Amino acid sequence: MNLTTTLAGSYPKLPTEPGDVNVRVVRNRMDQGKATAEELSRAIQATVRRVVAFQDSAGIDLPVEGQIAWDDEQTPVARGLEGFGIAGLIRYLDTNTYYREPEITGPVRWTRPITVDEFRFAQALTPRPVKAVLPGPYSLYRFSKDRHYREPAEAVRAIGEALAAESAALEAAGARWIHYEEPWLGRAKAEEAPLVRAALVPLLSGRKASTVVHVPFRSPRAVFPVLRELPWTAVGLDLVESPDAWGLLSEVPAGRTVALGLVDARNTRLEEPAAVAEAVGRARAQRPDLTYQLCPTASLEYLPADRAAEKVRRLAQAARLAAGNGGR
Amino acid sequence: MSRGLWTTTVGSFPKPPDLERARNRFSRGEITAEELTKLEREETERVIRMQEEIGLDILVDGELYRGDMTTYFAERMGGYAISNPVRSYGNRYYRKPVAVGPIRRTQPLTVEWWKYAQSLTSKPVKGMLTGPYTMMDWSFNEHYPSREAMAMDLAEAVREEALALEEAGATFIQIDEPAVSVRPEELPLAVRALGRATAGLRAKTITHVCYGDFDVIYPALLELPVDMIDLEMANSRFDLLERFRQHPFTKEIGLGVLDVHNHRIETKEEVKEGLRRALEVLPPERIYVDPDCGLKTRTVEEARQKLTVMVAAVREVRAERGISP
Repeated sequence: MNLTTTLAGSYPKLPTEPGDVNVRVVRNRMDQGKATAEELSRAIQATVRRVVAFQDSAGIDLPVEGQIAWDDEQTPVARGLEGFGIAGLIRYLDTNTYYREPEITGPVRWTRPITVDEFRFAQALTPRPVKAVLPGPYSLYRFSKDRHYREPAEAVRAIGEALAAESAALEAAGARWIHYEEPWLGRAKAEEAPLVRAALVPLLSGRKASTVVHVPFRSPRAVFPVLRELPWTAVGLDLVESPDAWGLLSEVPAGRTVALGLVDARNTRLEEPAAVAEAVGRARAQRPDLTYQLCPTASLEYLPADRAAEKVRRLAQAARLAAGNGGR
Repeated sequence: MSRGLWTTTVGSFPKPPDLERARNRFSRGEITAEELTKLEREETERVIRMQEEIGLDILVDGELYRGDMTTYFAERMGGYAISNPVRSYGNRYYRKPVAVGPIRRTQPLTVEWWKYAQSLTSKPVKGMLTGPYTMMDWSFNEHYPSREAMAMDLAEAVREEALALEEAGATFIQIDEPAVSVRPEELPLAVRALGRATAGLRAKTITHVCYGDFDVIYPALLELPVDMIDLEMANSRFDLLERFRQHPFTKEIGLGVLDVHNHRIETKEEVKEGLRRALEVLPPERIYVDPDCGLKTRTVEEARQKLTVMVAAVREVRAERGISP
């Protein structure tokens, strides 16, 4: 049975093999005035090449670019939109990682492509469709300080429309899959469902590309009655940190795709591929009418590079086991 | 005349460039542990002298010998391994602890450094530890079946170290729990773990909490079983104080009045205004004044200037209100 493998969000930038380009070292050297912006750009490109080639060799069907040039998962996009400023460092939910808080200071508008060059570069490296990754509009709003809009609904709609324009630019560049990272959907309360709808409707309506709304960390149970009705192709669930997300499987509309987050992106403990394959089997038994992707629970950048790589190999092996070819 | 508005800091001080270079050279095997320790002791003495010159009331050793606030402890405990680098933001990375077996305190963790720092001054030096909940939350776990099991083993290890600090003479013991502010549903676990870590201590106990959604965790935060909770205030423009009008803050407070993530040096008037606002909702005898968080991200000179402003502001407000230290 077909089972598509993919990754979420960002991928560790550091090399696992001695001698490989280390973008961290180049950035440090640039900060000290010992390397140029061109050298950093070359190091970033070399890292993207390595990350995409690794996913290819591991057998990941929908590889990601890895957000190798990004400082965090939302600032680069917020910075690229009109109406956003960027403020101080703030903890990223409960992850002990940080991001710079976007501040909405005026009407949010898309004026130019933000991630298209990165997508094109990565796509040129592989025959497989590269999955473009963007922050989801609801989460981008919740991660931001709103100093402009009077009504949250206006703000999320504007962000949704801006990200829709970026998505259209990615589609025009050839993106067949676009992934929206939406951790805040797992924290949204039922009364926030109208906001979730206001954020996601302008984004998902009329998309040419297939879309994934990925919810790491927590189950989007409270807003699922609204989320399930929206026109996404796939919903990504974190089934490790939130085992109660298994319960949502019964509520997914027939014919849709679920990206099963079964490989823990926040712990170094390695999964047994057979156990992951068994969990995929459980999902199929429960809802044989759905299609499935297999992915990590969240961005693998929460892990050291060596463990992230091993988890990707095991994820691919689990998918082969689940497909019934013995993990070879 | 009332007493109060004592001045202190949250724990870490900036490492001077020489020490950073020495730490890098040590990690590359270019200098010995003894050479690095010698420099760390010299710089620790400098930090003690700086705090005395500025006029702080309760001192810290500055943690110049520590890297990350969890990894330092994990490297010295049984049951922990240390991961390859993990990114925290941008180009900043740290090596994260990994629980690979039962976690135990197998040796003193900070006592010798505390003794050394206390030997340099007649003012009280705080014992500084990372709390069990934060150690658990900021580690990978390859061993324990649950977060609770790991946190409670860590609580026992932290308690042993706290008792050792007390036995050595520490009268203030700070057990930092910055992670409790981000998972409100786990606050009861943090309370249990910190309760275990502080059980039987006679020293004044403090915990520092930061970067969280206080709308969600306050007033439940007051259940943390310590004498004093240290909070960042400047970073949120002292907005938290308004919450204390509705739900009185019932413990002693470490009142953060300096934004540690900003290069700008606060003006004396800004700090005084924050203190005056705090005195509207808290009695002076329950206020300890300090920066929002550790100062390690500032330069030595920024730290000196910020703390000098803080102490000057406190002195003027004390004089205004007839408060003695």
